[in-house]
Amino acid sequence: MSDKFNDTQSPRVTAAEEKVASEGRRKFLRKGAALTGGAVLAGSAGAQAKDKITDPIEPPRVKQLGRGVVSVPYGKPSKYESHVLRRNVEWLTADTIASISFTPFQDLEGIITPNGLHFERYHSGAVDIDPKDHRMAVHGMVEKPMVFTVEDLKRMPQTSKIHFMECPANGAMEWRGVQMDSMQFTHGMLSCSEWTGVKLTTLMEYLGVSPDATWFYAEGMDGSALQRSIPLPGAKDQFGKPVPDADEIYKDIIVAYAQNGEALRPEQGYPLRLVVPGTEANLSIKYLRRIKFTDKPLVTYQETRHYTDAMPDGRIRQFTLINEANSVVTYPCPDKRLKEKGFHEIRGIAWSGRGKVKRVDVSVDGGRNWHEAELQEPVLSKCLTRFRLPWEWNGEEALVMSRVQDETGYVQPTLQQLKAKRGTNSIYHKNAIQVWKVEKNGEVKNVQVKYV
Amino acid sequence: MSKSNMFKLSAIGAAAALALSAGPVAAEEVTNVGTPVTEKAIADWDISVYFDGENLPEGSGTLMQGEEIYLAQCAMCHGEFGEGAKGYPKMLGAPKEEFIEAAKSGEDTVGIRGINNFWGHAPTLYDYIRRAMPFFAPASLSDDQSYAVTGYVLYLAEVIGWTDEPIDAEFIKNVEMPMEEQYYTDPRPDVDNDRCMKNCYAGKEIEVKGKAVIGDVSVGEVEKAKRD
Ligand code: HEC
Repeated sequence: MSDKFNDTQSPRVTAAEEKVASEGRRKFLRKGAALTGGAVLAGSAGAQAKDKITDPIEPPRVKQLGRGVVSVPYGKPSKYESHVLRRNVEWLTADTIASISFTPFQDLEGIITPNGLHFERYHSGAVDIDPKDHRMAVHGMVEKPMVFTVEDLKRMPQTSKIHFMECPANGAMEWRGVQMDSMQFTHGMLSCSEWTGVKLTTLMEYLGVSPDATWFYAEGMDGSALQRSIPLPGAKDQFGKPVPDADEIYKDIIVAYAQNGEALRPEQGYPLRLVVPGTEANLSIKYLRRIKFTDKPLVTYQETRHYTDAMPDGRIRQFTLINEANSVVTYPCPDKRLKEKGFHEIRGIAWSGRGKVKRVDVSVDGGRNWHEAELQEPVLSKCLTRFRLPWEWNGEEALVMSRVQDETGYVQPTLQQLKAKRGTNSIYHKNAIQVWKVEKNGEVKNVQVKYV
Repeated sequence: MSKSNMFKLSAIGAAAALALSAGPVAAEEVTNVGTPVTEKAIADWDISVYFDGENLPEGSGTLMQGEEIYLAQCAMCHGEFGEGAKGYPKMLGAPKEEFIEAAKSGEDTVGIRGINNFWGHAPTLYDYIRRAMPFFAPASLSDDQSYAVTGYVLYLAEVIGWTDEPIDAEFIKNVEMPMEEQYYTDPRPDVDNDRCMKNCYAGKEIEVKGKAVIGDVSVGEVEKAKRD
């Protein structure tokens, strides 16, 4: 097959990237590029300007009245957005009670995931818990074991932070080859919310956690009574080996009661959940009813049979807690094809469980040449970051992809690099570069590419 | 509360001091929130069993009793012989050696996993069955029933042979799980991509190796689903 994927369809910021040292000059060039874009857009519309357009809405809305206030006391999206839905893949799991659904990132903008579109993951189904009856115990290696109501926790000093929440199985169906022709299904086990609640460290201080505590575990009160062990500084595994990132993970943990300004949704653990930023979402125990400080891990079902990664030497990695840096182009993507030649903005999301996104590069020629994309502020730690790159699509085939580098310097790997180390049986933590192939007719296909 | 005994959080300490200097209404620390309890008060909630068997309860069961419970309450999903049914997980996976061989040769090992090749410690098997199974009625088995059926599952998974001994805390603690030594803690980052910007394949041809094969999971604009 001949190499058709040339970089002739150059993103317009190329000029701005030519090793320009000063930030001021950079900004100037970007502005210039955008202007050029506008000119090209007008030019490429080509045809003569119309001197008559008909209003497609009949009878005109300006001659009608609309709905009154509180006709919809809790607002919903426009009925014309009814295709923007969580979806599941039936054959993935034996039933929907122990299963997962996916967030439709192809239809989302910004970094906040609307609460009704947050992906779901249940081990024994979503439950409805009356907050009046909910109690959360904190005990174990503490001076003062205590039981809290939700109201008690709302009296404690509060924090609000925006963090992504991602199932480590995001993308897991693609290790052996491409399967899902959909961005929703390749990357939708992901969401990002503003979480409000009490910092774990505030509770630790209040209860007087012993300096000898090197772990805690959290437990939910749904049917699965899901429990996970979470390392504290000094944590050792069951064989006495140190657990990485133990000095970092706990500092950001929130016992959350609110999500994007309102109470948690039942799907997300109402009335209380743990939020463990940057880590696999399974640690962020929903329906939280108990935290126990200990000096060893439990090594639960979820820590031995699942959320462990099978390696090609027959061994199994455990406590792979951090979700490493990842990114994906959300436009164009298989769910959002290109309809016309000319100007398009390549858009996407990037995130890292180890901190902030430092930069994102985009390629339209299958990874031969890359261009640094623009990041949308705010760029926050362990949070989705939006990136954009203006692009002139000439109607030819293109291989579009993104590659993030986080503040630790780590560069998002290719699938080939991951497979060389981990084989194809590890299920979890597939944070590889995702390639979309744009066909001549504007359709977009999920593909895997040699070298990527 | 003796401060010296507490978890050291210097940043928080500093924040508290600052708040105090801000004025008379500022509180130095949180007081009088929540209900103090003894460990005894929450003992009933604390059913979590550690990998080494700590917190396994009193009581026992037999494999005979376990077989009866398994056939009545588990077999419809996990198979009469632990082979799995209707997409629910297997109890008996490939033997350890076969599993490791398959892993080394790059074959798919996801479908051959079971308690005998993907479970590190028997006490947490007891913990899981008691808290979450049978799936349709979680936490409905007594401690004794949980011992019986955990023993029977270990027998189906060929981790133990048939025995008439009582299955109890001592027994479960002493079960050797075949894969225990195969587990090791996260060594990542384990890949090191570099940030190449120009001519990254040095003239080599790019080749599309695979396209999505399952067309019906595409969402796209053909999606007809409607919000109710
Ligand atoms: C209605 C179907 C159903 C029944 C009945 C059922 N289970 Fe399960 N079982 C499941 C599902 C679903 C899972 C996986 C749950 C998850 O991981 O979220 C599971 C997981 C398990 C596991 C872990 C499997 C693994 O992959 O290692 C064990 C052990 C288990 N069940 C034992 C039992 C026992 C013992 C009983 C009877 C007392 C039982 N189950 C009854 C559906 C069932």
